[in-house]
Amino acid sequence: MTQRRSYAVGTGLFIVLGFAALAYLATQTTSVANTTRGDTYDVTTRFANVGQLKVRAPVKVAGVRVGSVESIDLVPGKEEARVTLAIDESHKDIPQDSVATIYTSGLLGDQYVGIQFGQSKTPVKAGGEIGLTRPAQQLEEMIGKFFGGGSAPDRLGGTYHVTGDFTNIGGLQAGAAVKMAGVPIGSVESVVVKPGAVQATVTLAIDKRYSQIPNDSSAAVFTSGLIGSQYVAIQPGGSPEYLSEGDQFVLTQSALQLEDLIGKFLVNGSPSDNKNGGAQGGTQPDNAGKK
Amino acid sequence: MTTRDDNVVTRSLAQIGACGLFLVTLLRAIPRSMRHGRETIRQIWFVGAMSLTIVMTCGLFVGMVLGLQLYDVLSIFGGTSATGTVVAIAIYRELGPVVTALLFAGRAGTSVTAEIGLMRATDQLDAMEMMAVDPVAYVAAPRFLAGVVALPLLAIVFCAMGVFGGHLVGVTWLGIDNGTFWSNMTAAVDVHKDIIDGVLLKSIAFGIVVSLIAVFQGYTTPPTSEGVAYATTRTVVASSIAILALDFVLTSFLI
Repeated sequence: MTQRRSYAVGTGLFIVLGFAALAYLATQTTSVANTTRGDTYDVTTRFANVGQLKVRAPVKVAGVRVGSVESIDLVPGKEEARVTLAIDESHKDIPQDSVATIYTSGLLGDQYVGIQFGQSKTPVKAGGEIGLTRPAQQLEEMIGKFFGGGSAPDRLGGTYHVTGDFTNIGGLQAGAAVKMAGVPIGSVESVVVKPGAVQATVTLAIDKRYSQIPNDSSAAVFTSGLIGSQYVAIQPGGSPEYLSEGDQFVLTQSALQLEDLIGKFLVNGSPSDNKNGGAQGGTQPDNAGKK
Repeated sequence: MTTRDDNVVTRSLAQIGACGLFLVTLLRAIPRSMRHGRETIRQIWFVGAMSLTIVMTCGLFVGMVLGLQLYDVLSIFGGTSATGTVVAIAIYRELGPVVTALLFAGRAGTSVTAEIGLMRATDQLDAMEMMAVDPVAYVAAPRFLAGVVALPLLAIVFCAMGVFGGHLVGVTWLGIDNGTFWSNMTAAVDVHKDIIDGVLLKSIAFGIVVSLIAVFQGYTTPPTSEGVAYATTRTVVASSIAILALDFVLTSFLI
């Protein structure tokens, strides 16, 4: 009988251990762990852009979780998101002038709301609003900043416009940077194909500070890095005359297409010649007749 | 029963059919086996609690190796903070139930088959029938029930140890931030989809299949020492195939 008793005790222990492990898994490693315990009070915030923020995402102060996102909806009639934060009762001391920011945990992580304390002595009340916010940083914008798009100079000094015709502009878009010797000197104002034309007309807005660009300079569409955005690079010529408002670049070099480059490597010649205009005159397929 | 002259297809079909019929007999015997509750508990002890050591050790190492591999691969993309999430989801949805069921078939299924097979070979089952004790209710059903109860519990312990192992490697050894590890995991793992559907439902299904195969193979073994040896082997082979095939079917329904 004692032997049987030990079986029963051991089996009981085993079953209890199993259920304890289940309770642990279900409450500590799943989204259940994110549901707030205890009482909370609501604080509203408004963001220009919430990015990928989701309901129940954590709200953190100095990296410590103090609550969660209760709801996300659109402010009626405005291009603005209203985010309601449910903050634990135990954190009543958030200053009124705090700043709410949407952060991303890591590169692939989920987004959360971070609160930086302000200087005010008055804490934000239940149902109150944190007025100062910073919207979610869009990865595209950040990459744009790194690779030149966003680093175009401001136009405080005024700009002058120069156009250039390109056979192929690749992925160039309005707003892309214009660089000379790697330094941003302006931005692409517009990219259009004029009616009846086969070439794209790119209008560049160049800062007035950089007015001494020789008028025989050439413009080329370059890509920064393999995955970077495209920009217009200006290679200065030797003419004593300078470009001025409304002038046109005589020499242009179109965007290099990765496909074309690979094609060149593979067959030792561009796969087709109908894409090549004057600007890519050097890439005439030399084996077209041999095939 | 079938004879050796039948071809392999007929024999396999006959085995599956006999197994299905045995399941019906077994389920009908379960109410009667409740009289032998202590026997069921003894079997839970034997197939469940005694398997804890191997399950916990394996769970720990599976979690550790997952953490190590994922850290290595994710660091290419700068996404090592997702290690905890991927370890947890991989273990809950697949590795936990499947590896535990495979271990269970090897550790407990074989001994159940061998035990019942030897009872058959030494005419103990016939002796019970002579004494008006239903061997299905007294021998087969408690072992079957014990397996169905024990496997989900073992799978859960395996999962907990796996997450612990992933944490051990990821946070303690490789230096992923503790908060990031847990918060990314809690943000991505869902109770219903990952714990209930992933761990519990799958391991209950595996528990039924593995226990049925083990008990059936033991119960219908030819009463020779060679027969018992074959039956034990067949338990492992048939269980492994059934677990992995059923895993695919279940996953395609649950996902």
